[in-house]
Amino acid sequence: MDGARGGVDRVFAALGDAGRRSLVEAVATRGTATATELAAELPVTRQAVAKQLSALADAGLLRATRAGRETRYEVTPAPLEDAVEWMVSVGAAWDERLAALRRSLAKKT
Amino acid sequence: MPVERMKIEREIVVPEEPGEVWEALTDPDRLEEWFASEAELDARPGGEGVFRWGDGKERHAVVRELADGERLVLDWDEGGSVTIELEPAVEGTRVHVVESSPEFAPALELRAMAWTALAAA
Repeated sequence: MDGARGGVDRVFAALGDAGRRSLVEAVATRGTATATELAAELPVTRQAVAKQLSALADAGLLRATRAGRETRYEVTPAPLEDAVEWMVSVGAAWDERLAALRRSLAKKT
Repeated sequence: MPVERMKIEREIVVPEEPGEVWEALTDPDRLEEWFASEAELDARPGGEGVFRWGDGKERHAVVRELADGERLVLDWDEGGSVTIELEPAVEGTRVHVVESSPEFAPALELRAMAWTALAAA
């Protein structure tokens, strides 16, 4: 049981890393993505993104498909469903709410 | 116990003063303009909040912490929490939001192995 527990901890340790979390979130939000596409909107190099994506794919969290010279990634639903679903829906909800807050404040002044 | 939660973090800067933003965070009528379709909030530590959305969703919360004009922490009944912090900025007010998830642990036992390789990478 200690082993399983430790494994679960590692899941959260990995997801607790802001860089990996934003990568998984970015892939999940787009549906599919390549390292080049993600690097364009994240403050990291394409090489760094490619390395993390490849590690995430090795771990079974992303599925990789070759598309010409690039590798395209999507989130595999099985290992991450609840966690990714939470991240994507809560993240999108806050984006909308904060935009609405900005509008509401602007209206008052 | 290890912390088995995830976090969503967002930050915006609005041109208004912190006092005006604080009102939008704590006055139920103002909350209905941006946070939920219907809002009830007893804005004091231990106070209760009920929020409803157009899709029929309803969430209940308790105010864990409240520092006037600076910080509001809500604990959701179903687990997880929201922390909203305000900070004066040159351009107005910085609004920093952190929502932490409920625990996903029960469903994760099967997923653990997949992450071992990643954690080691």
